Amino acid sequence: MTAIADLRETLTTVLGPAGVISDPVELRTYECDGLAGYRVVPSLVLLPTTTAEVAAVVRACHRAKVPFVARGAGTGLSGGALPVAEGVVISLQRMRALVEVDPANHRAVVQPGVTNLAISRAVASHDLYYAPDPSSQQVCTIGGNVAENSGGAHCLKYGFTTNHVLALETVLPDGSVVWLGGPSPEVAGPDLRGLMVGSEGTLGIVTGVVVRLLRKPEAVHTLLADFPSIEQAGNTVTDIIGAGIVPAAMEIMDQLAIEASEAAVGAGYTLETPAALVIELDGPADECGELFEAVQELCHRNGTTKIRVAADDAERARIWTGRKAAFAAVGRISPQYFVQDGVVPRTRLAEALGTIAAMGAEAGLRVANVFHAGDGNLHPLVLYDDARGEHERAEKLSKAIAELCVDLGGSLSGEHGIGTDKACSMPVMFGEDDLATMDRVRRAFDPDGLCNPGKVLPTPRLCGEKPGPYRPHPLEADGVIERL
Amino acid sequence: MSSSVSDRTSTGELPTVRPTDLAQARDAMRDAARAGHRVLVRGAGTAQSWGAPVEPVDVVVDTTGLDRLVAYNPADMTVAVGAGMTMADLQDRLKGQRVALDAARIPAGATVGGLLATGDGGPLRASYGTLRDLVIGITVVLADGTVARSGGHVIKNVAGYDLTKLFAGSLGSFGLVAEVVLRVHPRPEASRTLAVPCPVTAAVPVAGVVLSSPLEPVAVDWHDGRLLVRFEGTAAGAATRAEKARELLGRGEVLGGDSEEAAWSGLAALVRGEEGRTVLRAGTRPDQLAEFAELLGSLADRHGVTAALTAGVGVGVSTVALAGGTPAGHGAVLAAWRARVLAAGGSVTVHRAAEGVLESAPAWGPAPATAPLLRAIKQQLDADHRLAPGRFAPWF
Repeated sequence: MTAIADLRETLTTVLGPAGVISDPVELRTYECDGLAGYRVVPSLVLLPTTTAEVAAVVRACHRAKVPFVARGAGTGLSGGALPVAEGVVISLQRMRALVEVDPANHRAVVQPGVTNLAISRAVASHDLYYAPDPSSQQVCTIGGNVAENSGGAHCLKYGFTTNHVLALETVLPDGSVVWLGGPSPEVAGPDLRGLMVGSEGTLGIVTGVVVRLLRKPEAVHTLLADFPSIEQAGNTVTDIIGAGIVPAAMEIMDQLAIEASEAAVGAGYTLETPAALVIELDGPADECGELFEAVQELCHRNGTTKIRVAADDAERARIWTGRKAAFAAVGRISPQYFVQDGVVPRTRLAEALGTIAAMGAEAGLRVANVFHAGDGNLHPLVLYDDARGEHERAEKLSKAIAELCVDLGGSLSGEHGIGTDKACSMPVMFGEDDLATMDRVRRAFDPDGLCNPGKVLPTPRLCGEKPGPYRPHPLEADGVIERL
Repeated sequence: MSSSVSDRTSTGELPTVRPTDLAQARDAMRDAARAGHRVLVRGAGTAQSWGAPVEPVDVVVDTTGLDRLVAYNPADMTVAVGAGMTMADLQDRLKGQRVALDAARIPAGATVGGLLATGDGGPLRASYGTLRDLVIGITVVLADGTVARSGGHVIKNVAGYDLTKLFAGSLGSFGLVAEVVLRVHPRPEASRTLAVPCPVTAAVPVAGVVLSSPLEPVAVDWHDGRLLVRFEGTAAGAATRAEKARELLGRGEVLGGDSEEAAWSGLAALVRGEEGRTVLRAGTRPDQLAEFAELLGSLADRHGVTAALTAGVGVGVSTVALAGGTPAGHGAVLAAWRARVLAAGGSVTVHRAAEGVLESAPAWGPAPATAPLLRAIKQQLDADHRLAPGRFAPWF
């Protein structure tokens, strides 16, 4: 009996027949995540409903030396939940309980399959909310958010998942269960909770999350301003930061992104404007109102051609619908597209966008831009048509854009993760020793390399590089050369 | 050049290396590795008493020479500094901005790297977290001299493992923090603090009234018979909100200027502690404050010790200073209080122990469930256990 067949038998006993998928057709449902360009059919998909069941699955995999990949809603855009052919997928979609809402302590305990937005909805009656808000928050799960250290439009002011998670119940790659973190942010010893957040499912599987909730702000002011150029929109953002104002969100869309969004949801953006800037301020009513006036003044000083201030919650929601729908909407103007996720120092945005436009022109491909302007997180959408044989060119351009961000002093990813997609670009951002150190940490958690293998760090299978941790070059060992 | 490490580490003078750049820091660690030397990494030394006493070491690597301002980009809200720069110095160099951290040790000269390695935070942690929440990139030197970078210079970045977090709270056991990139925030125009007299047992419900309002205090701490609720913002905004909070609670005094400063520095003095005191920090669920404060009071009475407590009410972080009585009395209070905090899922760290206390109560409690993992990480990063040996004994 093969290891997989053996596992199927063992785990059917643990999870019941409904918790084990082995039908080849059904398995194909799990062959990719939101990054559909990479597809691998797993050997088995498991659907546990409790931490104990996840632990049992992982222990069985550990014993059988079978690789396993955790998966939430599958909305990741970097191939982080891509299955391993001879491995299993552990879907956490059935772990959707809001275990505890604790308004007195401004926290909630949830299972990993709960969607991001469901948390805020569940605590709204207490005037509380969960701050990190990825654009996919209606469908993406908190477990996936933890894996990717997700951000969203409001993280400029409020921070990322890592700033809002107090504790994580985690099944380690050997099947043991531990809590990382604790009931308060103060924990004795090294911060393993913080290390787990953003580790893309490679250090263990999170089965419980204690999130910190924030009090809803008293006032929220939102505007949509049109600008004659992206540069002027960007300068407005610089001036706002320079004035010591930290808005809850600042988002820019270019003409192509607006065109796509309007075609899909018709949120009332100006079709012909070269750039639209969404600014949202929140906080205590008096101060927020005062700062909002200052922000509008700065928009005018930078040549805004039109400002639309959201008069009420419905109009605010409409403005945000236009922004948050932009990715999916691009499907209306292009058969296929890649979403890139690089970050540049905010002050180099104009330079980055100019170069991206030139690179797009050179490649003969359109690039739409939607980005978190406050923190320099770009989301260039590289549009292409597979039928016209543009896939390879688009992929190459997308990768080049990510690496351009690193050249400009930024990062390969701001919120979508490295996953499978960008693992081979990691050496562009990090040196050999940096990667080897990350690998050492990974080995401490997962010496057998079974937990979401092939993700985050470059591997020979993916990139054709020399495997293994850092080993000194013979010349280095002899003291002839040195590295820093 | 040589210097003593600390009374609890060694009584003699030890060879000390004081690198002034990354290459020298790398060399210092590599030289120590080649010689098989045990190493204590030390910044300003304001937290050398945290955790268990370090066993004798062969060399001290003093990071205070790594005090360069590497890059400051106010428009990007980022600053990169050598880890040996004092936080006070860094704050002075920022223009209209600040690192939103107010740990009690900062006026005593605590370094940026030291504040990260201890995971320390002050009252502002309620809004901004501790340094782990503000650091966006680090460069470390491992025990074998490997120089490794994590994170970067942009505030939004999820590429690779966030090793910053691993070093936060590691007390120098995993490597030398050489360079730190931080995100900064605008310095608020003004602050006001509402001081409300109330017993610690009432602090949670009183604070709850403000915390469930939309007044957005940045810090809510109980200290010395008063709840201190701090507001920051525009001059008019901070004053208005403090006044609104006073109206909401129906009492209290709005402090500004010197009186506000005095209230918060009194709290910081308790947290810093002084010779002869035992200082503990606990993390608990916020609403357990009254229960643990009462328990502390009764334990202190039973063992003839004075216990002073201050607490970040909204976040559940308490600092306790034990004074008077005997070392055994301090030890007994530590052991019994910790046992109850641990049973409730919390944690206690020893920041300072009066002489002799650790003979009756260990610096660390029972090993947590994560101990095997911590040991595995230590093995990967410092296989010979040469860095800060004993600091986390017996956990790892």
